Amino acid sequence: MENAEVLIDCQSVWKVFGDRNAEAIEAITSQGLSKRDVLRDYGCVVGVSDASLQVRRGEIFCIMGLSGSGKSTLIRLLNRLIEPSLGTVLVKGQDISKMDAAALRRTRAEHIGMVFQSVALLPQRNVLENAAFGLEVQGIPRDERNRAAAAALAKVGLSDWTKHYPSELSGGMQQRVGLARALAADPEIILMDEPFSALDPLIRRQLQDEFRQLTKELGKSAVFITHDLDEAIRIGDRIAIMKDGALIQVGTAEDIVMDPADQYVADFVAGISRLHLIKAHSVMVPVADWDGPVDDLPRCDPEADIDALIAQITETSADALAVEEDGRVVGVVSVRNLLLGVRGEAGADPIGAEA
Amino acid sequence: MEDFVDSFDRQVDDILYWLTDNAAFLFDAARYALEGLYDGVLWALIAAPFYAVAVVLGLAAWRMIGLVPGIVTALALAACYAMGLWAETMETLALVFAASVIALAISLPVGILAGFFPRLDRALMPTLDLIQTMPPYIYLLPAIALLGYGPATALAATVIVAMPPAIRLTSLGIRETPHEFVELGQASGVTNLQMFFKIRLPFAVPSIMAGINQSLMMAFGMVVIAGIVGSGGLGETIYGAIRTLDISTSINASIAIVVLTMVLDRITQSAARKK
Repeated sequence: MENAEVLIDCQSVWKVFGDRNAEAIEAITSQGLSKRDVLRDYGCVVGVSDASLQVRRGEIFCIMGLSGSGKSTLIRLLNRLIEPSLGTVLVKGQDISKMDAAALRRTRAEHIGMVFQSVALLPQRNVLENAAFGLEVQGIPRDERNRAAAAALAKVGLSDWTKHYPSELSGGMQQRVGLARALAADPEIILMDEPFSALDPLIRRQLQDEFRQLTKELGKSAVFITHDLDEAIRIGDRIAIMKDGALIQVGTAEDIVMDPADQYVADFVAGISRLHLIKAHSVMVPVADWDGPVDDLPRCDPEADIDALIAQITETSADALAVEEDGRVVGVVSVRNLLLGVRGEAGADPIGAEA
Repeated sequence: MEDFVDSFDRQVDDILYWLTDNAAFLFDAARYALEGLYDGVLWALIAAPFYAVAVVLGLAAWRMIGLVPGIVTALALAACYAMGLWAETMETLALVFAASVIALAISLPVGILAGFFPRLDRALMPTLDLIQTMPPYIYLLPAIALLGYGPATALAATVIVAMPPAIRLTSLGIRETPHEFVELGQASGVTNLQMFFKIRLPFAVPSIMAGINQSLMMAFGMVVIAGIVGSGGLGETIYGAIRTLDISTSINASIAIVVLTMVLDRITQSAARKK
């Protein structure tokens, strides 16, 4: 995935809200004022400060932050629903802040779908007409757009509901229609603004799994906003942690849990279950540090997670597992390593915020 | 102070005289246009036999509200005929219809513009407040001076009184599109026209329909008052009955007005809800 084409390239983007935002931006660039200084001196609120991120083709990129962290502002900068105060957003290599109205409309209609927390289904239209909305405004003939909308609804499992109205659907089904509407125009990128936050936990989990599977199947890229770290870990290939308008850490779930960038992130990940996050290669120790014969140990894959390793070790009643890659033993995972891993500490040396 | 008031009054009178002397052709044209519209509508209503009108309105009520209201509507209109007030009832209906058509033709576009431009909205509000707080008789005076005695004056005054609610509620409806749907439109790449017709207007329809209903009710009130200036219809019947203390006629005419008002109110209200 590291070699895949960059679809969204967000370079040092700022958004400052307030009447004197131009002066504030000037001061930020020339004097490097902090968020608090800007509020005190100019009465302006910094929504997003110096955010840089890249979303590659086929990747699900989660932005996790609490309310007020600027994540909803950031996602709206990506399709220019909000104009950036400073910085550049490239979509498929094109600078969207330089596009004229027509080009921007085309980019939004053809390349970037969006799903909202409020769902925003038009109450006067039935499910099929809602799913076809994006194609309708592009001027696609009725038969063609209805076919595409019906196909998108089939993908989210709502084929039987095309003639119903949004008010007749449950919250989870409404959000599926929202997703189908975004998929119908077949964009490469889907922006998801806290789409599942208002749903029941069970429905939410089900939709998270379906969303991840569907996105991967169709090869779409997604930027997914959430305030729930579990959700980010479940869905995201990479996760960005956002606080006070800034991205404070970007990485895979494993990176963030194993090596939090600061105390804030460490506190955040403290309660997260490591069982499915941490892999054998992160907790193993070198063969040299294992004082026993390696040949008799059961073998495991470096990508196996702690949960699978615990299952294997309890079934075989061995003391440790040998991690094998390309037919070669590259390390050993002992029971002690597994227990450390469950606590979020790798190898023999505890690491993390304390380190 | 007194001098100032006197000279102000003289000024107003002078302007009115000047207008009657110099712009007579304009007001004559307005008068012909208003009376032409009224006569056309009235001709259509009178040309049809009373039961046809009763059945058509009854069917409309049945479609919009339900079977029982439909039957009651037809019977209530038949009662107007039985009281010997059919011609007057139709004249009143024609006045209300003609006045509402003109009022809406002006107030819907103005309301939509005011919805888009908050400055226009702010500029209009004091004017609308003024129109709605003045006693409605006031509008008959300049109208009668410029347009003369008859239905044209009644129509002009009714149009003025009927416009404010439609302007206010149309503007409100356009302004209050839920934010998430505006965002949906933008994120889907709509043009400005598509934003208006596919998103803002559908959300504004209930508010606009409520405005139309309110305008209609204002028009009914004014059309009856305009009986004083020879509007014709039930208003003039009541005015005449009051002058001769003919209590039974005035009660009959009042019943006919209540019937007509309720029928149109309920039909337009349920049209608003259906949307």
